[in-house]
Amino acid sequence: MRGLKYQIKSVLQDKFCLMTFLLPILVAVALNFMGSIDLSSLGEMHFGVLESDLSPQTITWLERYGPVTAYGTQEELTAAIWEPSTNVIGVRADGDSLRTAIAGDELDIFQQAAATLPALYEQRVEAELVKVLTLERPDILESFQDIFIPAVLIVAMFMGCTFNAMNIISEKEDGVAFINEILPMTPSQYIFQKVVVGFLFGSLSSIVTACICFRLSWQNFGLLLALIVLSSFVAALIGLFIGKLSEGLMIGVVYIKIVMLLFLAVPILCGLIGASGPLAVICNIVPSHPAFDGIMALSAGNMGTAVKDVGILAVHCIVWFALYVLISANHKMQVTL
Amino acid sequence: MGKEFCALFKKDCRMLVSGKFFLMAIGFLALYTAYVNLGYIRFMQMPPYNVYLYDPAGTQTEKSPLVQIVSSVEDMDAALLADANGVGLDASSGDVRVVLYKGAEHVDRHRADYALSLLRPSVSPAPEVLGTNTPEQKARKEITCELLFFELAAVGFLGIAAVLFKEKGMGVIRVHAILPVRKDLFLLSKLAVFLLSDLAFAVLLTLLNVGLADGAAVLPAVLLQTAILSLMMALVGLLCALLLKDFRQFTLAYLVIAIFAATPVFLSANTSIKFDWIGYHPFYHVYMGLKNAYFRMSVSPVYYIGAVCAIMLLFLVVRLAFHREIGKEG
Repeated sequence: MRGLKYQIKSVLQDKFCLMTFLLPILVAVALNFMGSIDLSSLGEMHFGVLESDLSPQTITWLERYGPVTAYGTQEELTAAIWEPSTNVIGVRADGDSLRTAIAGDELDIFQQAAATLPALYEQRVEAELVKVLTLERPDILESFQDIFIPAVLIVAMFMGCTFNAMNIISEKEDGVAFINEILPMTPSQYIFQKVVVGFLFGSLSSIVTACICFRLSWQNFGLLLALIVLSSFVAALIGLFIGKLSEGLMIGVVYIKIVMLLFLAVPILCGLIGASGPLAVICNIVPSHPAFDGIMALSAGNMGTAVKDVGILAVHCIVWFALYVLISANHKMQVTL
Repeated sequence: MGKEFCALFKKDCRMLVSGKFFLMAIGFLALYTAYVNLGYIRFMQMPPYNVYLYDPAGTQTEKSPLVQIVSSVEDMDAALLADANGVGLDASSGDVRVVLYKGAEHVDRHRADYALSLLRPSVSPAPEVLGTNTPEQKARKEITCELLFFELAAVGFLGIAAVLFKEKGMGVIRVHAILPVRKDLFLLSKLAVFLLSDLAFAVLLTLLNVGLADGAAVLPAVLLQTAILSLMMALVGLLCALLLKDFRQFTLAYLVIAIFAATPVFLSANTSIKFDWIGYHPFYHVYMGLKNAYFRMSVSPVYYIGAVCAIMLLFLVVRLAFHREIGKEG
């Protein structure tokens, strides 16, 4: 217990280390208070027209499909169409009809839209008479905003991994690791001390982040807490692995980067493309996926999936822990031999 | 002086080799190239909406070949459920009814009208094409630019700091205080090593991912922008290494860069979301400089003046910090 006290003391004295844990909280506050970023305009079409070229009725008609920006000169309009970050379709009057202009590098969907816009304009009167039945979309993310909050939470949960790995690597570089080998300390004590620090701070930071971002019922909060605790534990363990496997800072940094990239990319990509079937099962190998999936399920009120994800994370905890104990017992045996 | 510089340069190169810096760069190059060619190009495709028509009486005779015929309402429902962006047209009751899953308001209107227009296709003039890039070329240039920026601003930066912290830990700076060489050479040789390795990385990344012909055409402009970014990041890395106590503290600076600097810049520069305040973000201008180089668009001379001033200012600050560090050690 005294060892743990020293570990925590050294962390508390390191202000930058504390800041690392505060960072996700700061991002969560920023996300919460800065107002949501409107990402729904990503798939929309944008039209560029020349001032006083199209009639007000035509502009109103165009605005049904997306925002219309008027440009003073042809050069400005051409530059806007050219601009690679947007998909602006240039529209100009051509007698009774319309003509469109594109940069040619747009996705097929926008090119097709530009090609068919004059036909849509010709048939605008008939199109308004047709009945449209809009169905509620099942199982689809309301907006990309929902992905940001779980992503921040994932960063918070897995911060313990970075911290533990850096802690062990710097101990190795300073030669403390050799002293640890001869200290009267059992491997389990060592694991306990190391895991607890990363785990404690990782969970604390995630809990505060969750309190800022989510408004959940007590029952749901219990499940979220279980998700946070389990994933912080797995993260702290993975941090130990990285620390153990890397010989120096550089290698450690590469490992951490790869792990963080995987932790963030796998669940977000799965969420965006809506992975299902065997792919979703394989994704569960990355522990951040069940955590992310669980948070998404909780915010959608789907308790069954959240409970399943807690189960998967518990399995992760047991497997990673057993693996680590096995490896360190093996190492200890080699050292004593 | 030239001899001294060469000796320092060689020492820095050896240091990077032993720190596996080049190995890491090659590893990331392979990773990025595999991602662009095997993943991103395939992922970044958005075909036009599929239109499904249920027309048991065959009333729609003029329909476009793009319309897919389904044999029952159930088939149409199943097709729409699997392809939520698709549009269903139900002509079984005489009048055509449009069925679609809800999305963004504007897009839904367009989907419905587009689907209806396919029932009576008219020959309209093809859109005028103003640019020269194909969608694939655009995607390649865009992702290569993002990866290069990310590599230089985040990964390379981290590598620089890791190497410098190691040097600091080994007491090289302390030794330097008593060596009979010009103090600035220590900084200049570091900058030269990182600049050259970043330029080599930029050449390989561009040629491998944008393509040989296209890549070679944009390379001079890209290298100029890479040099600006590389010098800035190397100087910031040096400053962090000199000011911060150890590498663990440095990870925070790295996280701040990765989260706060890169995300809004990527969003503003690559999508139609434009933040009002992005003009005040220094990384935005550097990123846009790089992006304009890839897309062969003109860069304002004000930017170059600003970049040179920023680099000079950073160099002076680093020089000050370095002298302070030597003073402390001595």
